[in-house]
Amino acid sequence: MRASHPLSATAMGRRGFIALAGISIAGALAACSGSPPSGTKHIRLSTWNIPTDIASYQAIADAFVAKHPGTSVAVEVTTGQFHQWFITRLAADLAPDVIRITPQQIGRYAANGSLVDISGAIPDDYRGDYSDPFWAIGAREDGVYGVFQHTDNFITYFNRGVMDRIGVTPPTALADAWTWDEFLEIATETKKVTGRYGFGYGWTGPETAYRWMPLVYQNGGAFLGEDGETPSMDTEEAVGALAFGRRWYEEGLVSTGNLSKTGGGDVARNLFLTGQIGMMLNNPESMAQLDEEMPGEWGTAPMIRNAGEASDLGGNALAVTKSSRHPELAAELVAMITSREQMRFFCHEGNWLPARSSLDAEDIGYAANSDTMQRFIDQGATIPLPMVRAQSGEYFSSLNAVFADYLDLCLIGQLSPRDASRQMMEAMRSVTAN
Amino acid sequence: MSLRTERAADRRRGGRLVPYVFAGPAALLFLAFSLIPIVIAIGLSFQDTASLGDGEWIGGGNFASMTSDPLIGTALMNTLVFTVGTVPTSMAIGLALAIALNRPLPGRSVFRALFFVPMVAAGVVVGVIMSWIFNGDYGVANNLLEALGLGRLPWLTAPGWAMATLVIVVVWTRIGFCMVIYLGALQSIPSELKEAAAIDGASRWARFRTISWPMLRPTTSILLILNVVFSLQAFDVIYVMTGGGPGFSTTVLIQYVFRSAFVDARMGYAAALGLVLVAILLVFTLLRQRANRKAEEML
Repeated sequence: MRASHPLSATAMGRRGFIALAGISIAGALAACSGSPPSGTKHIRLSTWNIPTDIASYQAIADAFVAKHPGTSVAVEVTTGQFHQWFITRLAADLAPDVIRITPQQIGRYAANGSLVDISGAIPDDYRGDYSDPFWAIGAREDGVYGVFQHTDNFITYFNRGVMDRIGVTPPTALADAWTWDEFLEIATETKKVTGRYGFGYGWTGPETAYRWMPLVYQNGGAFLGEDGETPSMDTEEAVGALAFGRRWYEEGLVSTGNLSKTGGGDVARNLFLTGQIGMMLNNPESMAQLDEEMPGEWGTAPMIRNAGEASDLGGNALAVTKSSRHPELAAELVAMITSREQMRFFCHEGNWLPARSSLDAEDIGYAANSDTMQRFIDQGATIPLPMVRAQSGEYFSSLNAVFADYLDLCLIGQLSPRDASRQMMEAMRSVTAN
Repeated sequence: MSLRTERAADRRRGGRLVPYVFAGPAALLFLAFSLIPIVIAIGLSFQDTASLGDGEWIGGGNFASMTSDPLIGTALMNTLVFTVGTVPTSMAIGLALAIALNRPLPGRSVFRALFFVPMVAAGVVVGVIMSWIFNGDYGVANNLLEALGLGRLPWLTAPGWAMATLVIVVVWTRIGFCMVIYLGALQSIPSELKEAAAIDGASRWARFRTISWPMLRPTTSILLILNVVFSLQAFDVIYVMTGGGPGFSTTVLIQYVFRSAFVDARMGYAAALGLVLVAILLVFTLLRQRANRKAEEML
C-alpha cells in the first residue's frame, strides 16, 4: 500500500493533475460568472460609464423586472474603444443583449447583421412621436434596428462680458441666428477683446470629426448624396464650407490646437473657461462646468447658419444585438426605456435632451438651465434628414475617419479647400467601393 | 520490486512532471493569447472580412491592396522617422545616465528610481498628461517658454512639430529602461580591466571606448532590438496625443492597423498589415542576430 499525500504529483499522475486543473478552472469560471438562477431570463444592458445614467438604467431595469417575473437585468459598462469592444464581443457571441450606441456607430452593425430587427416589440404609436430624422437613425428598409433615446446638438455659447464690450446682442430665436458672415465679423471683434482667439468648436477627438458636418449642410451641400451612399463632397457648396472653415484658422479666429484630431478633451470648453475665446459652438455637456466656474457670465444663442440651418447629431439609440439569447425580451426592454414616461425620467436625471418630439424642457423639469435646454431642443429640429441618413449609414465609421483626415489637412492649410475636397472624394470612394 | 525501488520510481515520475507543472500555466497563456491569435491572424489576412469569423477567402487580395493604398507609404515613412527619432536617442541618453549613475553619487538610488518611473506609467496616462503639458494654448511647456521670453511653439498642431513632440515624450518614457539595462551591464564589467588600463595610462574616454563599449555591445544589440520593437508597437501615446494628426503627419503603421481593423472594419486587411509589421520585425531581428554573430567572431 502506498503511503503518499493525496495531492502529491507522484500519487496523482499526469492525467490526475490535468483533470484536477480542469475541474479547478471550471469551478473558478463558474464562481466568477455570477449566473442568475436557472430558468431566469437574463438580459445584459451596456451603457457608457456615466454614473447617473447607470443608476437611471438600473432603476428602469428594476421596474422592467417587476413587470416581467422570471427575468433579471444587469446594467454593464461599455469599456474602452467602442468598435474594438463590440466587434470582439460579437465574435465571441458575448455581446450584451441591449446596447447603447451612437447614431454614427449604429449603421455598420445594422447592415452587417450584428443587430436584430426589433420592430415587433415597438408599439405603433412610437413612430408618430419621433421626427423623421430621429426615427431614421434606427429604421432601415427591412426593419427597426434601434430606437433613438436621447439627443444633443450644437448651439452658440458666448461670454456675456465679451459681447457687452463689443456691443453685440446675440440672437435668441432660431430665425435670427447669425449667418456665417455675421458670425465671423463678431468673431473678429471677439478676438480683439480676448487677445487670443475668437471662438472654438466642440470636437473631442478624431471620432467626433462629424460634428463639423452640419456646416456642409448649412451651406446647401451634403456629405453623401440622396441615396445615402454616394460621396458628394465635391460640390461647390461643400468646397465653400471647407473654405469657410479654412478662414477660421487662416484669420487666427480659432486655435490650431482646436481640431478634431488634435487637442484631447473638449479644447473649446477649456479655451472658453480660460477666457481665450469669447464664443464656442458646442453641445450641452459644457453647461455644468460653465455654471460651476463662470456662473452668470455665459449665455447661449442658436447655432450659426448660412443658406440653411443644421446642427450636430448627438445622442444615443438603444439596440438589441445578435448575441442576445432572449431578443424579444430585450426588445421589450428597449421599448420600455424609450417610452415617453421613461424617456422623461432618464432625461431629467441625466440632463439629456429627449428624442421624442412631444417632450419639452417643461415636461422634463430640468434642475437647471431650463431655457437653454429648450433652446437645444428647438435646435434639434434643424438636424437635417440627409445628414442623419449619411451618418447612420453602413460605411460611416470609415467615412468619418476620412472626413477627419482631410478636414484636418484643409483647416491647418496643408491642402486647399478644393484639393481637400478632391482627395476626400477619392478616399470616400475607395471606402464605399470596398 | 522493493518498496524503496518503487518509491524511487515514483519520485522520478514526479520529477518528470515538475517541469510541466511549472511551464504549464505559461504555455497555456502563450497558446491562448499568442499562438492561437497568430494562427487566426494569418488566416484572417487571406480573407475579406468586416468582423471576426465570417470572412470570404480572397487569397492574396489584401496584400495586393496594399500596393495601391497611399496611406501605407505615409504610415511606413512616419514609422521610420519615429523609430529613428526614438531608438538611438533613448539609448544614448540611457547610456549617459547609466554611466553617470554608476558612480558613487549622493542620492543616486533616488535618481535611478526617478528616471525609471516614466517606464512604469501607462501609455495612456502619459499621453493625457503630455497632451496637457504640450497644449499650445494652456500647456505648461509654452507658458515656460513665454516666461523665458521665448515664443510659443505649435507642439502638437504643426505637422513637423507634432512628430518631434511625440519623439520627445517617448524618449522620456524609455530612457529609464535603457538606463537600467545599461547600468546592469556596466556593473558586470570586471573592474580589474579598467584599473589595469588606468595604470597603463589610458584616459577615461579611452577606457570607455576600448573596454566598456565593446563589452556593452551585446547589451546594445538587445536594447536596439527591444527599442525598435517598442517603437514599432508604439500606439497609445500617439493615439491619445495626436490621433495620427495633424493630417497624417503622425500616423504610424500600428495605428493604421488599428484603424483598418476597428474603424474601417477591414479585419482581413488589418491582419495582413499586421503580418507585414511582423515581417519587418523579423527581418530586423535576423539582421541584428547576424551582426551579433559577426561581432562575436571578431572579438
